[in-house]
Amino acid sequence: MIAGLAFYFFAFILIAAAVMVVTARNPVHSVIWLIAAFFNAAALFLIAGAEFLAMILVIVYVGAVAVLFLFVVMMLDVDFAQLREGVQRYAPIGAVVGGILFLELLLVLSVWRFAPDAAALRMAPMPEGVTNTEAIGRILYTDHIYLFQISGLILLVAMIGAIVLTLRDRPGTKRQDVGAQIARSSAVAMARPELGEGIRREDILRPLPPPAKEAPKPVTHEGGHH
Amino acid sequence: MTEFLNTPLGVLALTVAQALALLVPVLIGVAYLTWAERKVLAAMQLRRGPNVVGPFGLLQPFADAIKMLMKETIIPSGASRLLFLAAPILTFVLAMIAWAVIPVADGWAIADINVGILYLFAISSLGVYGVIIAGWASNSKYAFLGALRSAAQMVSYEVSIGFVIVTVLLCVGSLNLTEIVRAQATVWFVIPLFPMFVIFFISALAETNRAPFDLPEGESELVAGFFVEYSSMSFALFFLGEYANMILMSALATILFLGGWLPPLDIAPFNWVPSPIWFALKVAACLFVFIWARATFPRYRYDQLMRLGWKVFLPFSLLWLVLTAAVLKLTGWLPA
Amino acid sequence: MNWTLALPELVLALSGLAILVAGVLPRRDMTFPCTMMVLGAFLLSGAFVLTQPDGMGFGGQYISDAFARFMKVLVLAGAALALLLALDWNRAEGLSRFEYPVLVLFATLGMMVMISANDLMSLYLGLELLSLPLYVMAAFHRDNARSSEAGLKYFVLGALSSGLMLYGMSLVYGFAGTTNFAQLAQVLGGTAPISAGVVVGIVFIITGLCFKVAAVPFHMWTPDVYEGAPTSVVAYFATATKVGAIAAIVRVLAGPFGGAVDQWQQVIVLASIASMILGAFAAIGQTNIKRLMAYSWISHTGFVLMGLAVGTEAGLRGVLIYTPIYLMMSLGAFSVLVAMRRNGHAVENIQDLAGLGRTDPAMALGMAIFMFAMAGIPPLSGFFAKLYVLLPAVEAGFWLMAVVAVLSSVVSAYYYLRVVKVMYFDASTGALDARPSGVSFVLAGTGLFTMFFFLMPAPLLAAARQAVAALIG
Repeated sequence: MIAGLAFYFFAFILIAAAVMVVTARNPVHSVIWLIAAFFNAAALFLIAGAEFLAMILVIVYVGAVAVLFLFVVMMLDVDFAQLREGVQRYAPIGAVVGGILFLELLLVLSVWRFAPDAAALRMAPMPEGVTNTEAIGRILYTDHIYLFQISGLILLVAMIGAIVLTLRDRPGTKRQDVGAQIARSSAVAMARPELGEGIRREDILRPLPPPAKEAPKPVTHEGGHH
Repeated sequence: MTEFLNTPLGVLALTVAQALALLVPVLIGVAYLTWAERKVLAAMQLRRGPNVVGPFGLLQPFADAIKMLMKETIIPSGASRLLFLAAPILTFVLAMIAWAVIPVADGWAIADINVGILYLFAISSLGVYGVIIAGWASNSKYAFLGALRSAAQMVSYEVSIGFVIVTVLLCVGSLNLTEIVRAQATVWFVIPLFPMFVIFFISALAETNRAPFDLPEGESELVAGFFVEYSSMSFALFFLGEYANMILMSALATILFLGGWLPPLDIAPFNWVPSPIWFALKVAACLFVFIWARATFPRYRYDQLMRLGWKVFLPFSLLWLVLTAAVLKLTGWLPA
Repeated sequence: MNWTLALPELVLALSGLAILVAGVLPRRDMTFPCTMMVLGAFLLSGAFVLTQPDGMGFGGQYISDAFARFMKVLVLAGAALALLLALDWNRAEGLSRFEYPVLVLFATLGMMVMISANDLMSLYLGLELLSLPLYVMAAFHRDNARSSEAGLKYFVLGALSSGLMLYGMSLVYGFAGTTNFAQLAQVLGGTAPISAGVVVGIVFIITGLCFKVAAVPFHMWTPDVYEGAPTSVVAYFATATKVGAIAAIVRVLAGPFGGAVDQWQQVIVLASIASMILGAFAAIGQTNIKRLMAYSWISHTGFVLMGLAVGTEAGLRGVLIYTPIYLMMSLGAFSVLVAMRRNGHAVENIQDLAGLGRTDPAMALGMAIFMFAMAGIPPLSGFFAKLYVLLPAVEAGFWLMAVVAVLSSVVSAYYYLRVVKVMYFDASTGALDARPSGVSFVLAGTGLFTMFFFLMPAPLLAAARQAVAALIG
């Protein structure tokens, strides 16, 4: 009973948050709603008993991905008014497409039935006596190793792509070379120079030339006042 | 009595009591950590530190707290009010709820969940939101710069912390914190995994925005960084959150590497001391190093910080992870 | 497990990683060595493909059969030749970075995964591994606003189509209870009526795949991306990736969904007719030759889909014959496009070819051959390609499609021949720069194939027949 209530509670908030992501005026608020949606999805995973997935969802999506989202959204100066304009213009088309998809889903769900062979073909359920972390690990690194490795390659390509499109070697950039910095210690020496004298000639702070005495202004209009 | 404890209300009451029993010591610990920090820093700089309020200045934290409470809460006119107020609360709450899974002795955890370490990792990775939201909601340049620095910094160092945790998990074979401590009955992980302990500790410094990685605050260039606009209790909540996070990170280091509540040697004089005392002592030792580092090192430059995280710690911890896995596999020590 | 079966993919992936390291570590320009290494990797992988035995690997997620080998050889050949074309062009445009060959390698690997997919999951991941490098490559000329725009446009639309496809896959999985192709064929091939959920799922998957092969009405990105992206990248888009996309759509529709042919046939027929018509008419007004090639491809897609829509053994064989012939024509045409450079600047208008018949007769002759072949004029290879998809359609009684095909062929002949007319009869506006040797090599090879295919069509026909037999069993 409590689990059922909790499910509806989190599911409702999840959908509400998702709606707010789309409708919020300020993109930063959108991202924060997105984070709320992630949290509720994690809670739903917890209710389903998938604690590992729940935690990974929070760590990866909330802890890293959404932070970077937020970072980017805060840095970019998004013109809200302009964005709104586009929404106004395309909202009817979007609504129609969305409506069609929704009707389609309804249609599909109304004839829901399992394929006759589906039960036999279903993937193995979680084995008994194993935590779900271990169960995921077992299936991920054995049965699905092929897909796992391809996913890794996709991420690698994404990384290469990001570097290709953004990294620039500007001439004249100064870079720290830690090795060189540490190795230069022989070139630096401690010295105790006399007060007022530098180590080398050029370092000596020469006394300023004495300020030139201001020549008294030549008085030109002698006896100008009486 | 036991009947009452089995009713839903009883469970709730028991949980609240447990939470209070854990959080009150933690908060007192936070209060005295501020005092200890000032004392230790003073000693290292040949000063006396707080010594006026109460004997040895012991009442100083309470004096500070009262002062904070009496001040006016200022909300800048350009700020996003709701988020501005939510940020310190978030920081504080996150620092507190993480304690739910910390075992201070065998079986003494409020929630001894299967994926305890992941829970802690998740909560600590959320800490960045308090900072970044505060910086943005303040609508101030300094605060925003601090928030951006902190976002990049904390995400970067989380990566290496993640690898350190995975290395420990390889040696344990469980994500449960109690199991992690129990696995150290023969030898604390700090000995076989010493380089990982160093990386973890330095990353913890960065993760809690402590010196020498306190760029998000960066007094000398950003005034006070992300909380420059905060005053009164909202400021105090950040302060409490930061120090509670320090204690949390120390507790995590204790659990992962220093054998948790276990005594150093399981022989007569040591195992007379109750487990929670050992736990507290180890946490205190870690905290001392936190303060020590602050007294000793100058602040890192931002590019150095990023270089350390991505070009030194990340490859090294990856390498060590592979090495650990290989050693465990070849010697057959891999936990089933 | 049987992982040795996937040796071609493994070799390619591992050499990709090694080449990446080899490109990063030395502190000098590694573009040329990396390109050569990637070509070597393609060659090695191709050798493994040819010796690959039949079978399934990785718990049924990977399949090796005659169809996969046929398509993989084409993809590897297309990718290698396109890379060869890109080498000079990228250097001239200041784009020579070692990541380019590496991205080509990973995209090619994605296609191979897709071709060998025996599971919706591996299909999808292969598709993503193909698409991601393509988005980056489209924006490879990052200082050029048009190239960036092309990359962004392609990315947004590609992500949308991937999403639709994934949605379809989840529906199919939800209603059929499996993602494995063999099991899906079993579920859908039975006498039981196919549930609406699976049908909607299949339609969404077709949508995603149609986006990849640029069939109308999911073609809008093609002209813009072709125009904006660097020509060297377009040469890859228009050749190797098209083969991969065709392979994917054939594999999916003829394999697991072969039992549901009645459900998707009208969709493909419609897409085929629309593509042929649009490809024929929209190309007429184009002045940019890259856009012209984009519309030309859309019309070719129509022909390929026609063979698929027929769905018979002969129709599929037509598709498999069409693919290599198109690959060769397209590579040849793009070798000319890549060589279009005047005073060091790339030019891409049809008028820039004016007078090529006098200034560079060899290249003009090649281009003329490709244009005639694309128009389907006998005895060039393009004629046979069209013939082999047209005949099954007529035999199977798809009269409307066949008539549209013939008419659109006539219309499209106009713009192909216009290119030839510009080359031979318009006054020259100045000679193009001397073509690099890589271009000459590709031009000669593809030109000879296109010209003399009719002398020796037997090996290709035999291979295609074998591949089709493996596909429909």
